[in-house]
Amino acid sequence: MKKKLITFMLAMSMIAVIGMTGCGKKEEENDTPAETPEQEDASSDEEEKPAASGGGYVFETDGITIGVDMDMAPIADALGEPKSIFEEPSCAAQGTAYLYSYPGFEINTYPDGEDNYVGYISLKDDTVATPEGIDLSKSKDDVIAAYGDDYEEDDKKITYKKDGMTLNFIFSGDDIASIEYISSVLN
Amino acid sequence: MKKRRRQQRKWKRRKRWIIRTVPTVFVIILVLSLLQRLLMPKYMDDVMEGGMVQEYYDEVKDHDVIFIGDCELYENISPAVLWEEYGINSYIRGSAQQLVWQSYYLLEETLTYEKPEVVVFNVLAMEFNEPQQEAYNRMTLDGMRWSKSKIGCILASMREDEHFIDYVFPLLRYHSRWSQLTEDDFRYFWEKKKVTYNGYYMRVDVKPAVNVPEGRVLADYTFGDYAYKYLDKMTKLCEKSGVELVLVKAPSLHPYWYEEWDAQIRDYAQKHGLKYYNFLDVTEEIGLDFSKDTYDAGLHLNLSGAEKLSRYFGKILTDECGLESRRGESALEERWEDKIFEYQEERARQTYELEHGEK
Repeated sequence: MKKKLITFMLAMSMIAVIGMTGCGKKEEENDTPAETPEQEDASSDEEEKPAASGGGYVFETDGITIGVDMDMAPIADALGEPKSIFEEPSCAAQGTAYLYSYPGFEINTYPDGEDNYVGYISLKDDTVATPEGIDLSKSKDDVIAAYGDDYEEDDKKITYKKDGMTLNFIFSGDDIASIEYISSVLN
Repeated sequence: MKKRRRQQRKWKRRKRWIIRTVPTVFVIILVLSLLQRLLMPKYMDDVMEGGMVQEYYDEVKDHDVIFIGDCELYENISPAVLWEEYGINSYIRGSAQQLVWQSYYLLEETLTYEKPEVVVFNVLAMEFNEPQQEAYNRMTLDGMRWSKSKIGCILASMREDEHFIDYVFPLLRYHSRWSQLTEDDFRYFWEKKKVTYNGYYMRVDVKPAVNVPEGRVLADYTFGDYAYKYLDKMTKLCEKSGVELVLVKAPSLHPYWYEEWDAQIRDYAQKHGLKYYNFLDVTEEIGLDFSKDTYDAGLHLNLSGAEKLSRYFGKILTDECGLESRRGESALEERWEDKIFEYQEERARQTYELEHGEK
């Protein structure tokens, strides 16, 4: 009797679920949360992710253009063997982020389903420069001359924003300590 | 007379309405509750970290030490070793990416159940000053029992795009999960299996730490106000409750622990008279070998590493925090006998799977 009751309840539940979610597909199309949070990790990124490098600042090296939110696989192929790759599986969630180290710069990726996308690019020394001609040997005035006045400034950083992505120049005293292109997904 | 009859008829109608409505409402509530139970993620065989918080409620709550914090505790400390080697009865109230305000509310809730002698908090969480992802929030909050602490924890943790009502009625959040239901949702409908060993998440596999990156240059190394606010609350709560708060930084190599961060914690500990142990400074003394003692290249320790760290920390808890062995308490001995049996069984199961390539 108890089992029958439970089965009845479950059947009722299923009917109710179907009733409630008859529009399940529609809901997903409408961006309402339709997945478990742990599964949503990647897909929420997808929702937030702007079109790959759509108009934001990009970094160029050896004729290869690298922008945040671009698919890392073709970039990794084009750049060749990195100095090292560090895997960073996320706690309790699916997917692994990677840190690719190349001479002078690093690329960090974030997972989105089966693929990995560029999360941030960090210029580490003055052997590499932005396409606008800024490397770590330049000054704050050089940065402003190259990128313009439309920036945000706090204590040790000036930030340019373009199409959702962020370009940071971090200073240590008067020197640039780091240049970073950061995806809005990581902000 | 007429009026009386009219009243009687009215009462009969009301009675009929009650007889029909009350059971209907009851059935609807029951069905929705069952539905909610079915649709909520079970966190059993995949993302086990989501099942950790609620396991605590099944415990006999007379622990000497409560560890509170993120994966750097629940993957790096083995309460079984603390018991076997020091007679310390401990539990890890851990969850994935547990934020400082969540640690505070979990601690507040824990202290309504029991009064440990020592609370250990892992300070990596200080790097976060705002809620991060709903997924992680859920893994901590959904497992908490309803209490003032849970309400506070939800309010402190919600991102802008989250709603309190979704935590009160998780069905609202998970209703579309019907198409993702798996066998586990039915298997663990009534009862869930244990996923930890007194809060410890066991991994026996090995992945050596190589090419561990240094931290990115930061513009500002100062921990945020919100994080400090809840660390302060934790400190005050422990002080008020007569519990010793101990701060630790687990010896995980990544995420990077900056010297500037370490200095802030040292200052904080000194200012508030707290003990602070940065195990990154003593990895050799602990005996950690990052070619063998980690399962994910230095982010977390594996069983071998966690047991080494626990042996090391157990001595500190005994010598410096004054904890005495409770070996000899028959009821506690009995409970631990079962726990150690399960712990060893899981170790054997994972080792077998690893050796036979089944993982």
